[in-house]
Amino acid sequence: MGMGKRNTIYLVSSSDDEEKAEFSLKSQPKASSLPRISNPKKRAKKAPLSNSCSRPRRQSEFNDFAEIKRFCQEFDEGIRGFKVSTGHGMSTNLWVDKYKPNCLEELAVHKKKVEEVKALLEERFITSEQRFNNNVILFSGPTGVGKSATIYALASHFKATICEWNTPTPTIWQEHLHNSSSGLRYTSKLDEFETFVDKIRKYGCISSSASGGSRVILLIDDLPIINGKVAYGRLRRCLHLLVQSVTVPTVILFNDYGNTEATEYSMRYWEELQLFLQESGACKVAFNPITTNSLKKTLLRISREEQCEVSAEELELIAKASGGDIRHAITSLQYYFLRPNEASFLSFTNSTPPRLNQSQDEITHLSNGHLLPFGRDDTLSLFHALGKFLHNKRDSEKSMASDSDPFILKENFRRLPLKMDAPELILRQAYGQSRPVADFLHENVLDFISEEAMDDAWIVASYLSDADFLLASLSGKLSRNYEAENVVQSAAASVAVRGVLFGNSHLAPSRWHSIRRPKLWQVEQSLWHNKSRMVSQRHEAYCGMNLVDPSVIATEFQPTMKWIGYRAPVDHNGEKASPDCMDLDENVLANENCITSEDEIEDW
Amino acid sequence: MLWVDKYRPKTLDRVIVHEEVAQNLKKLAAEQDCPHLLFHGPSGSGKKTLIMALLREMFGPSADKVKVENQTWKVDAGTRNIDVELTTLASSHHVEMNPADAGFQDRYVVQEVIKEMAKNRPIDTKGKKGFKVLVLNEVDKLSREAQHSLRRTMEKYSASCHLILCCNSSSKVTEAVRSRCLNVRISAPTDNEIVKVLEFIGKKEGLNLPAGFALRLAEKSNRSLRRAILLFETCRVQQYPFSSNQAIPAMDWEEYVMEIASDIMKEQSPKRLFQVRGKLYELLTNCIPAEIILKRLLYELLKKLDSELKHEVSYWAAYYEHRMRLGQKSIFHLEAFVAKFMSIYKGFLIATFG
Repeated sequence: MGMGKRNTIYLVSSSDDEEKAEFSLKSQPKASSLPRISNPKKRAKKAPLSNSCSRPRRQSEFNDFAEIKRFCQEFDEGIRGFKVSTGHGMSTNLWVDKYKPNCLEELAVHKKKVEEVKALLEERFITSEQRFNNNVILFSGPTGVGKSATIYALASHFKATICEWNTPTPTIWQEHLHNSSSGLRYTSKLDEFETFVDKIRKYGCISSSASGGSRVILLIDDLPIINGKVAYGRLRRCLHLLVQSVTVPTVILFNDYGNTEATEYSMRYWEELQLFLQESGACKVAFNPITTNSLKKTLLRISREEQCEVSAEELELIAKASGGDIRHAITSLQYYFLRPNEASFLSFTNSTPPRLNQSQDEITHLSNGHLLPFGRDDTLSLFHALGKFLHNKRDSEKSMASDSDPFILKENFRRLPLKMDAPELILRQAYGQSRPVADFLHENVLDFISEEAMDDAWIVASYLSDADFLLASLSGKLSRNYEAENVVQSAAASVAVRGVLFGNSHLAPSRWHSIRRPKLWQVEQSLWHNKSRMVSQRHEAYCGMNLVDPSVIATEFQPTMKWIGYRAPVDHNGEKASPDCMDLDENVLANENCITSEDEIEDW
Repeated sequence: MLWVDKYRPKTLDRVIVHEEVAQNLKKLAAEQDCPHLLFHGPSGSGKKTLIMALLREMFGPSADKVKVENQTWKVDAGTRNIDVELTTLASSHHVEMNPADAGFQDRYVVQEVIKEMAKNRPIDTKGKKGFKVLVLNEVDKLSREAQHSLRRTMEKYSASCHLILCCNSSSKVTEAVRSRCLNVRISAPTDNEIVKVLEFIGKKEGLNLPAGFALRLAEKSNRSLRRAILLFETCRVQQYPFSSNQAIPAMDWEEYVMEIASDIMKEQSPKRLFQVRGKLYELLTNCIPAEIILKRLLYELLKKLDSELKHEVSYWAAYYEHRMRLGQKSIFHLEAFVAKFMSIYKGFLIATFG
């Protein structure tokens, strides 16, 4: 999976460090002592594939501390001086690189997806002579779902050469100083990308000389980072030219960072860019996270080849924890066998093998992600979390656990076990703030309650009222005690969520629901607006002799003035405007609803 | 100008309804050392009228020369600065404001304003330092903190600043504040008093008022003089000459609440609850306070309800009214009340009719 754009790193530290190391080396330093400025040379990549032949024994991995030490030194040097000697020549120890799929069969990506891509490429290979006008394919999907692996595997299937835009090494500050003193101009990644695209357009991929007359796939993996409108505009123009003029099949990889980060400013650029590319003729293939089953299959294969003992449950655990990221899963697996006190971890999960039931319990307990030394920090979008709460999925039959429950509840307080993590955990994953969560639940929950179940509706409403009470109890105190407020806030969110889960015992038959944005927010805004308008009108009308309680104006003066047909002396259509204004507000509301209903959630 | 404003008595001598209170206030104003005052009584009973008249009694006609200002206070609240915006009404002798409008920042407003007034005390002709009067409306809506800080500032600056507080229910004002004020209860006018006022206005306007009509207006007004005069003027616009059995229109929002009540009685389901929520939102956007909606809704519901349910329903209305005061977003509690009512009523229907 590692596409060979990563150095071979020997893992000794915790998984966090591993992530960082991977990340910092993502753009591969080349084995050249000269500081590189701008040579976006296209280069066929073949080296990594050869790595798989040398597989060191596990024993040596564990014991050879000298090697580790040496490597660390080298690694440091590499970072500091850009002299990296570790490269393709060295045997790889990372399983991610070692077991990268070489043929289509080894891919963990879904068969149909592979077929789809294959068909797309085939089509383009056949028609490439006749200048097929959309040669660009976009791959989008989260990290580690095999986007690049698919293209490499397909390339070897088609016997095609992959011509890649090689991300240039980032310029570090010292280097920049050195360069500028010797008169060399700084070039950004974006500049280099532009030059590259220019070359592609003018000369095609001829420079990848090795590939003679055979087929060529152009792969652009790492688009330059853009921030700001100007850079975005440049990249867009550049890609537009590429899409229009490229004559070989081109694959552009996009990483989806999930909805949670979509609010980030720069992320929107990527989305826009994808849409734009699609409009200009590129076709898009979306990759989904790899299913737990195929992850398990791959992990099993690897562990068999490594001759590691691993139980099916443990594999499942790792597969689940990785959240569909196969690269992560494999690294986790390797890390798992790397642990020096391996025995303790194993005994932890396997301490009670005779009682299967309990060990399963433990595994589910582990999979909550607290005790696991690996596993992705999987965040949920707020809408996803709300969907979980509102749909209120429960197991269909009573679990055995309820028998051993020390508390015997009355029948009407009993609920089937939830088919999800603890609500607080979900809230935390979604980074849900209490107030919006309560508002969203309040707005939407009635849709999910069965038409007959009025009592349920009341229970839910009363819990929401409790939650609001808790939320209000400390707000507005400026000499606040943040600690206490945090506690109260999370208690309020918990009450709201659990109240909704508990109260809604008669679910409406599940159907497609859209989650609306709370109308309450709009109402509050227009309330303030109306109030100030009303009060100022009253002042004008009465030359401001005294202040009147706004509620009195609203309940008594306003209706009377409406009857009398009274016009405020200055604001001639003031009175008349108020009903219209309200209608208008409602239209706005309706529109808002339309807009937000795009954030629909499926019944999952 | 509306009749309510036009016929508001300007001086204590011309007050019709609470003559006795007016005379006492007059004596109080004559003695230079006026204590802090707390006027309390139901809406539309004449508190504000008496306060205005009292101010005039104290300072003469110059108290009428007021200007409206949107003042902004910069409050230093330890870690950050807050801007509080509030409409004030000020003459050279007094300042009037609704501190509760500042929301949860009300306590700062109260403190700051009083301090500021204490700083620049007016000096009268004899070179003696005079005092200013601060009129605070809706004291019962002030937060607890604000009331406490009001208490402290009241003591500290009592020489330079006299307070006149005005509220509907003195039970929502803290004991500490109440005990530092002279409490003046302004009761709601009786029907006869209202009739007297209406007849007075009728005479001034040169209208022919049929015998029973004024009484009907008074009854309809629920002992609120303001309401009665407003209704009177409305009827005058709708139909003149009056007939004694002329229809007296209800306030539009009251009709709307009635509609909501009948919606609730007709069907009890989550879907209907959702529709009711929409209607409640509409009332709220038109600035009808949630407490008033709840009260009116309960009133409408009780009218149609079987007597055995009345107690329980009233209990829950009180419960959620309390919640509403403690909570932040009134719709949560209003809706919980409606839901509870639906649930009770549905259970009752099933039990009775199967």
